[in-house]
Amino acid sequence: MAAYICTRFCINKFKDSVRFIPRRYRVKSKWAQTRPKFPSTTIALQNFDATYSIQLGNLWPSVRVAMLSEQKYGALINNFSSTASVITSELQAEGCIDFIGSHQHSKDSMPLHKDSAEVDVSKLATQEPTISPDIKCLVFPQGDISRFKPSRQDSSGLLGYYLLDAASVLPVLALDLQLGHAVLDLCAAPGGKTLALLQTHTVSFLLANDSSGSRTARLCKTLQSYMPRENLEENKIQISSFDGCKLGQIEEKRFDRVLVDVPCTTDRHSVMVEDNNMFNRSRTKERQRLPLLQIQLLMAGIHAARPGGDIVYSTCSLSQLQNECVVQQAICQAQEMGISVQVQDLGWLTRCFSNTFYFAPQLSVGELVLPHLCANFGPIYMCKLRRSN
Amino acid sequence: MDASRGHMSFCSTRQDHHQSSHTSQVPERPGAQLNIRSLLEMGFSETQADEMHEGALKSRGKHIPSILTVLLLLGLNPASILKIMQKCPEMYSLKGAEIQQRIDNLRKLGLVEGSLQRVISHYPKVMVLPIKRVNMVSRLLKEKCHVTVQQVTDILRDSPEVLEEDLARLEYKFQYAYFRMGVRQAEMVKAKMFRLTLSMLRCRHCFLERRGLYQTPDKKGQTLILNPLLKDFICVSEETYLTQVAMATAEEFHVFCKLIEREQEEEFSNEEQELDDDDDDDDDYDEKHWKTGYKRDKK
Repeated sequence: MAAYICTRFCINKFKDSVRFIPRRYRVKSKWAQTRPKFPSTTIALQNFDATYSIQLGNLWPSVRVAMLSEQKYGALINNFSSTASVITSELQAEGCIDFIGSHQHSKDSMPLHKDSAEVDVSKLATQEPTISPDIKCLVFPQGDISRFKPSRQDSSGLLGYYLLDAASVLPVLALDLQLGHAVLDLCAAPGGKTLALLQTHTVSFLLANDSSGSRTARLCKTLQSYMPRENLEENKIQISSFDGCKLGQIEEKRFDRVLVDVPCTTDRHSVMVEDNNMFNRSRTKERQRLPLLQIQLLMAGIHAARPGGDIVYSTCSLSQLQNECVVQQAICQAQEMGISVQVQDLGWLTRCFSNTFYFAPQLSVGELVLPHLCANFGPIYMCKLRRSN
Repeated sequence: MDASRGHMSFCSTRQDHHQSSHTSQVPERPGAQLNIRSLLEMGFSETQADEMHEGALKSRGKHIPSILTVLLLLGLNPASILKIMQKCPEMYSLKGAEIQQRIDNLRKLGLVEGSLQRVISHYPKVMVLPIKRVNMVSRLLKEKCHVTVQQVTDILRDSPEVLEEDLARLEYKFQYAYFRMGVRQAEMVKAKMFRLTLSMLRCRHCFLERRGLYQTPDKKGQTLILNPLLKDFICVSEETYLTQVAMATAEEFHVFCKLIEREQEEEFSNEEQELDDDDDDDDDYDEKHWKTGYKRDKK
């Protein structure tokens, strides 16, 4: 039955040398495919079924069906493009809503009702950080499944809008950028959140870092196609390709705001797309080490923040192990090193956008956007921390 | 009922002769073609007779007395006959003998007295379809879907709509249920699955599957979770389906249906593109997509 193999010479081609393998060291690879082949997406789904059905309870089926269906996008309007206002009105004519701006309007009109009702709520509202009016993100209303066209270039070659998961604008809004802030984006590629940061026009200096060279290249390309050249000068924006975990020591106490958008199991991607899947058998070790890496990155972010500076930690996973546990662990580690870090409440953000996104109820720290068929954004977890010394 | 059955036993051939001679007389005296008096004699009430007469005039049917005789002989009462004719005005333009033949054919397919009348009054279109068509569908069910004769009868009784469906689509629907959902024929018939359109079936099934409530059984028929019975989520109203089985809101389900439809369209157009590319390589490939069946779709 076995095919005839020439066993007299068995030559193993290494990089550039040809080696002879003595018979006693030769290993015959097994023919029978004993290990059944499961696609990574199935493995991912089984994993999620096991963990999330306990974590989310009754909510899991609706989250699951949403994750397995087509995701919804938001169009982040590029203020640097000369056609931004035209594009905005065009998209609004198609039925899109600027969910950030529309919230602002509703807030303006709301105090009329509030005066009579509750004073506490209006007090709270004054404490709320202001949401930058420059970030515009257009989405189709709930239940509408239309898609955006790919954006076109204006006369100067800049693209009109960037398509991204609308929920990933939330971590940027949570950062609450003020004029003259120095900002660090620890895992910046492919650049959606970085672009949203830059739309505010308040950043005095931005360091966008990503450990992988190819991803940094992609980040560069994104920025070049959305930003005019004069805004990309060295003294304003730097793109680096360091190991994020070590950046904390290099750039200690330098930044007012730090965005730590860590690598995670990317739940939606893992469940839908086979290639580059985190749940591939060959990446098991990598996956198991993820929470550790996430803690290290968050620690680096905390180190890089100036006392009084804010850090926003975000992932696109539902897993508690990668979200709340990482934050709590990092706070503990920071305390051991003598850095005190407080969790900031993001309730204001969820109150503002509760009619656009579905937020998970009752998390110990941070907020989590759950995918839902009517508003198929997320999953995005975010948690805001403030370094006090 | 018994009386009409007595008539039935000897009406098969003689009746036809009688009717043909009757219809041949019609052109000679056009006024007597259908008058209200003869309708009253047949047992219609005055208002019923009026309505029937009006309908007959509108559709200009020539053999209405013979049609009515056949239907009366079948044991249907005047009220239900009127309802049938109103539901399906194409009936007026048929001949009595034709209808008799089609009824005989349905009998041959196993529809017994009672269910035959029920099918005709619920779905009068069955009388308009040619015998050939009916036989084709029943043959497809038997040969391609491996459904037993008794089950074909049940399908015809419970969901006569299949008779009108495109044959390839019908086969595809069966294959979807058999391969993709892992359901046996007996269950399909029991759940009256053939009533549903393919898109509706797919929506309901995929919705459950993606919510993690349904799994396709493996080759041994095993699943990790307990699947709901086909009849519990197929032949129930949307409301019961959502509250009892899927535990979801109607809003979610409607958005999902839209999404699935678009997914299907895109898959379909992608495949057609692929087919176009392939066409140069093999000429004997059948152009028509539906003929390729479900398995090819599954990748």
